[in-house]
Amino acid sequence: MIGRKRLVAKARPAAHRACGSCLLFRNDAAYLEAAFAGLTSLSSAFGSTQSDDGICLLHDRVLSARALCPDFSPADAG
Amino acid sequence: MANIEAQADRAIAPAPRWRELWLKEDWWAIWLGLGIVAAAYVLFAGGGSIRWIAVTPAKWTTLSQLGSHFAANYDRYLAQFLVWLVVFSVALTALGHKARAFIPSFAILYALSVAIFALGQWDKASTYNLEPPLVALVIGLALSNVLGLPRALDAGFRVEFYIKTGIVLLGATLPFTLILWAGPAAILQASIVSVVTFGVIYWVAVRLGLDKRLAATLGAGGAVCGVSAAIAIAGAVGAKKQDAPIAITTVIIWAVAMIFVLPFAAEYLHLPAGVGGAWIGTSEFADAAGFAAAQTYGNLAGHAAVAGTSEQAIFAYTLIKVVGRDVWIGIWAFVLAIVATTQWDRIETGRKPQAAEIWWRFPKFVIGFLLASLLVTVVTAGYSLADFNKTVVPSLVGPVKDLRTWAFIFCFLSIGLTTRFRELASAGRRPFLAFSAGAIVNVIVGFILSAIVFASHWENLTP
Repeated sequence: MIGRKRLVAKARPAAHRACGSCLLFRNDAAYLEAAFAGLTSLSSAFGSTQSDDGICLLHDRVLSARALCPDFSPADAG
Repeated sequence: MANIEAQADRAIAPAPRWRELWLKEDWWAIWLGLGIVAAAYVLFAGGGSIRWIAVTPAKWTTLSQLGSHFAANYDRYLAQFLVWLVVFSVALTALGHKARAFIPSFAILYALSVAIFALGQWDKASTYNLEPPLVALVIGLALSNVLGLPRALDAGFRVEFYIKTGIVLLGATLPFTLILWAGPAAILQASIVSVVTFGVIYWVAVRLGLDKRLAATLGAGGAVCGVSAAIAIAGAVGAKKQDAPIAITTVIIWAVAMIFVLPFAAEYLHLPAGVGGAWIGTSEFADAAGFAAAQTYGNLAGHAAVAGTSEQAIFAYTLIKVVGRDVWIGIWAFVLAIVATTQWDRIETGRKPQAAEIWWRFPKFVIGFLLASLLVTVVTAGYSLADFNKTVVPSLVGPVKDLRTWAFIFCFLSIGLTTRFRELASAGRRPFLAFSAGAIVNVIVGFILSAIVFASHWENLTP
């Protein structure tokens, strides 16, 4: 299944394989505030400085929504 | 970690950025702040003022005086509460929060803020060091850590949103000419401290064996704008998910401690208000925490050993922290992204750093701060100093300053109410040591620059 998704991902243009369109990427501000304990004490996930960063659930990394990855799983493929 | 292949030559089209105008709190802080300033000016130009709605507790000696004040002005407080409630609800709903959760939470926050503001107006308050920022912080910390509060109430405790709104309002009270005059020195001083602090934290962290990405995340947290910078750099360099909470915990512990230490250290050292504000601006880590410390030191001005005015402490702090440090976060992110993708591991994020990131990560509320300053400076340029003090201050600048004070108290209280020490991630000994090394150097270098090198500059900071 993952292999099929990878093939689909490879066939997509780069912008569509960016983390922001990936099933395994979360950059909803409310999600980030829940994921990072203490974030709201002196900051927020709704600020401009956070840009469109989020968390990759597969690699456990904080990444930009514009990062690229061969493990891309299209969000619209469920 | 699985390898993420390099595809750096493919530029990624960014999402439409104009959506940020209503999806980022920086822009909402601008809309609210500039909206209030514009409304204040329209009324002022028509011979009126927003003074009625910008009510604050009066100085009092006896409880009966305080009771009389509230009995005579309860309708003004009710109206002010409703105005804050409506504008914040609109903004936070647009950001994705639920108004149903925000309303009861903000009602509690406002009631506590009225009590704290009133306590600060007691004529014996300074005798017992009952400075509103410190009282707000202590009460908030006690409620969240001792009593415990339902997490649902966090909906109204929006530290960052309140401080950004307050900073935009602060712009209206700070002459643009002062920004132009003091800005270059602020930028120079802040840049020196930022580079030195980042270098120390990064160097010590790497020497202690920490991952370079964690080292950079910690370094930015200490050198630029605290938690916000740490998270931004974590994303820019592709830090591990667990690195961010480590940096958050470290920054919070140091920042909260500094709120209590810096004002009284500055007082002990007999620093003038402007010098103390500049020192706090170079030595605090997060905007909100720094404003709490600077406001506290400003409140000490005029008595004890502190020369100068409250506004000098606030203005010097703002120039150093907001103008001098915060605006560079995008550049730090861009440079570190380049270093991370070209010097550390082989590009792991598959992303080619783009110069546009400098703008994407720019703290936009600073634009509102500058516009508010420019607007009020321009529209009041024709007034003589005497007329300015007689007409503009009580009818325009004064009420905006009072609303700014409310926004700051909401923020200070929210810091305490959202800081639950037992829920913070464990920072670990090595990250804490690395950050502490930078924090200590930061305090020393900041003191030398503020109190020696640029002392006369900050001491003579006069609006």
